[in-house]
Amino acid sequence: MIPLRIKVEANADQPFVVRLRSFEFAVGEQSTEQMNPFEVALERVGPEGADYVGEGGPIRILGIDPSKVDGDVLLVNPRRGTADRLIRSASQHNTFLVTERCDQVCLMCSQPPKNHHVDLFPHFETAALLAPEGATIGISGGEPTLFKTQLFRFLERVLLARPDLSFHVLTNGQHFDLDDWEAMSRIDRGRVVWGIPLYSCDPAVHDEIVGKTGAHAQLLENLALMCRLGAQVELRTVLMRPNADWLPLLARFIISTLPFIRTWAVMQMENIGFGRMNWKTLFYDSSEGFDVVSRSIDLVRSRGIDAWLYNFPLCTVPEPYRHLAPATISDWKRAYREECDGCSLKARCGGFFEWHPANHGYSNLGAIQ
Amino acid sequence: MNVWPLKFREMSDGSVLFSDDAGEFFKSSHGFLDRYATDNLSPADETFLKEGNHGFDKEFDLRWTSFAYRWARRQSRPTRMNYVILVPTLRCNLACGYCQVSRAPETARGFDWSPETLAGVLSFLDSLEGPDIKIEFQGGEPLLRVDILEAVRDFCREKFSQCQFVVCTNLQRLDTREWAFLDADDTVISTSLDGDRVTHERQRTHGSEVTGAFFRNLEAAVSRYPKGKISALPTVDVDNPPDFEALLDNYERYGVRSVYLRPINHQGFARKIQQGDNVLARWNRLHCEFIDLLIARNRRTGRFMEEYYFSQCLKRVLRLNADNHVDIRNPNFFASDYVVIDHDGRFYPTDEARMLSRIGRIDLSIGDVGTGIDRAKVDVLNSGALNHFDPDCIHCAYQPFCGTDVIDDISRYGRIDVPRPDTWFCGRHLSLFDKVFELLYRNDEPTRASLAAWLGVAGCTGDLAPVHP
Ligand code: SF4
Ligand code: SF4
Repeated sequence: MIPLRIKVEANADQPFVVRLRSFEFAVGEQSTEQMNPFEVALERVGPEGADYVGEGGPIRILGIDPSKVDGDVLLVNPRRGTADRLIRSASQHNTFLVTERCDQVCLMCSQPPKNHHVDLFPHFETAALLAPEGATIGISGGEPTLFKTQLFRFLERVLLARPDLSFHVLTNGQHFDLDDWEAMSRIDRGRVVWGIPLYSCDPAVHDEIVGKTGAHAQLLENLALMCRLGAQVELRTVLMRPNADWLPLLARFIISTLPFIRTWAVMQMENIGFGRMNWKTLFYDSSEGFDVVSRSIDLVRSRGIDAWLYNFPLCTVPEPYRHLAPATISDWKRAYREECDGCSLKARCGGFFEWHPANHGYSNLGAIQ
Repeated sequence: MNVWPLKFREMSDGSVLFSDDAGEFFKSSHGFLDRYATDNLSPADETFLKEGNHGFDKEFDLRWTSFAYRWARRQSRPTRMNYVILVPTLRCNLACGYCQVSRAPETARGFDWSPETLAGVLSFLDSLEGPDIKIEFQGGEPLLRVDILEAVRDFCREKFSQCQFVVCTNLQRLDTREWAFLDADDTVISTSLDGDRVTHERQRTHGSEVTGAFFRNLEAAVSRYPKGKISALPTVDVDNPPDFEALLDNYERYGVRSVYLRPINHQGFARKIQQGDNVLARWNRLHCEFIDLLIARNRRTGRFMEEYYFSQCLKRVLRLNADNHVDIRNPNFFASDYVVIDHDGRFYPTDEARMLSRIGRIDLSIGDVGTGIDRAKVDVLNSGALNHFDPDCIHCAYQPFCGTDVIDDISRYGRIDVPRPDTWFCGRHLSLFDKVFELLYRNDEPTRASLAAWLGVAGCTGDLAPVHP
């Protein structure tokens, strides 16, 4: 597993953002003035760690090979002696966790909400500006739009300063408002995709899953607003026992009433957080009952709307649909199993979440020759 | 709930097809039609209409917004000019029966671009805003002037970051220089293949040696190039159609899975004399038979072929923004994203307009490379290039999917205000969309398998075509 948090020693009081240079400026050949003020360059590697110097002050990285963190952007917490790798330069899966608060309690939530909150937007802004050319940065939570004023301003400013970047924001879509029109209009809509979950076209089924009465109605109202704003929506539906049979009806609802979405993602569950607690009642074995999925995907795609399968191991998907199942499980969460040995699809398969139980629940699974 | 206006059309099985202005559709009964017309909708009717998003509760709510979105996305927007059809020469080394007006003999003089015309074309291309361009070389036989083709291609590769070139050639005579031109990865071939050998010879090559040369070159090209490099079109004589099975076999043999069936387009006088009455009805019947034959054949072979224009119409019904083909664009504004430049440097809005002008019936040229595009004249043509306010189209269930063809109307009737139902264009499209909906509401496996293949999806179910009992 790829570590997202590493050990550091730094001589500072307050948290700060810094980008590591492990190669270009090695051995002090070039003066540190040529570096970005938020950069530090590798000076020396020894048994006690890797030492970096620069305007951000000296820091020492422990327990990870400097070549693996070259170009990474860290949020250093000097008092705790840790740093979060906000941006791993070698990865396509960088996500800023804005908050752990949320106003929904979804049955399968992988990151159950916590009340504690620290506003990290100033650090996120610094970090985003240091991101590699052309990166797409994920924004997630909790529910990021609980802090929408800061979020909108952050997106507006970063996108303005960095015309090459784009964002993918995961939100429950509950908090947009006509009053946000101004602020949202200032965000370059072509470079932000809003990932918004809708679990069913039936209000009761959706509300039950997200644990909030009236969530469905609020969401539909806000989706209309998103459409009028020209926002790009990725509609996300985690497939579970309570909503699986409704999937074809949801597909029908999408083509009739949500034709403006950019993509529809049908997703397999993640076995962590509440998802682990409720696994037995929620997990839907799509390797057995794929017909609800295929019918729904075909319908939506026939009507010219993009639809994809996220987090599906390829061998659980019938061959004609495998090209619709990209390897979506983030690199740092991804794992393969014994059954995967010698599988010819492994290179393009997303495998499993690291924490997927040994008794995986798929009745049809195994290496494809 | 406020229900959006519904238009309707009786289907061949006696049921009624309904559609709204934004192109959502369903099949129902005369009973429903009565309830709808007399404002007596049942609760079940209301629920169904709501599910299909045929109504809304208040302005700006989700249903209202979705409807507006769908309507807007079905309109064609004028875009940047990025497709230029060039006729560097009218001369040709074949004399196909139906091509009198658009060619000159191979040895004739004065039918090629002059150096000034070439310079004018290049400076026109230079004035276009990039990044991409598609150039189609037509003729005549454009490869007779491979030198001009090279000059244009070199220029475009310098100027634009993405270029595609299509050479519409009869593949009759190819020497080293022509092959070298065709070899480039950014260049594709479009040719005519009228079906089996007999038909092709009858309609085009007129002698077995010439026919032999064509097929040899076609085979050489097929073995030399990757799939997708070569496309081919058959021109079909309604009175003497080819054996369609043999035509499909031949196309498949040459790796072409998409067949664009087109009727011989006689111009002016020739049209009346050679085709007699009822051409339209006969053509529509032939085309429908071809679609059914395709479905049966696809089922039999498991290798899916399509009729190009039918697939376009199918997608136009089901999808937003599926108006790549100009005939189903609405509005169909001229000289917006594409234009034709003739052998004498004149601009035309379409290739048919060019031919029509050539027979001297009307001058549909819209400027030339020296003076630029005549926008005033384009505006006159554009005034008729939409179906939204046409007194017939506004009542037609197919209006959201259909387009207009002003040039064809002028060509056939000398005017653009002939009642729609009396036009060839309308007759063709009524029949095409009738067929589209007939297939969408069939529930046999062979039809569904072909529909799925044409739509590029793994499978089709009845979900695709809603029914309200
Ligand atoms: S066996 Fe493993 S690698 Fe192969 S498709 Fe299944 S999950 Fe993916
Ligand atoms: S041209 Fe004919 S088929 Fe097309 S919308 Fe008008 S009336 Fe209908």
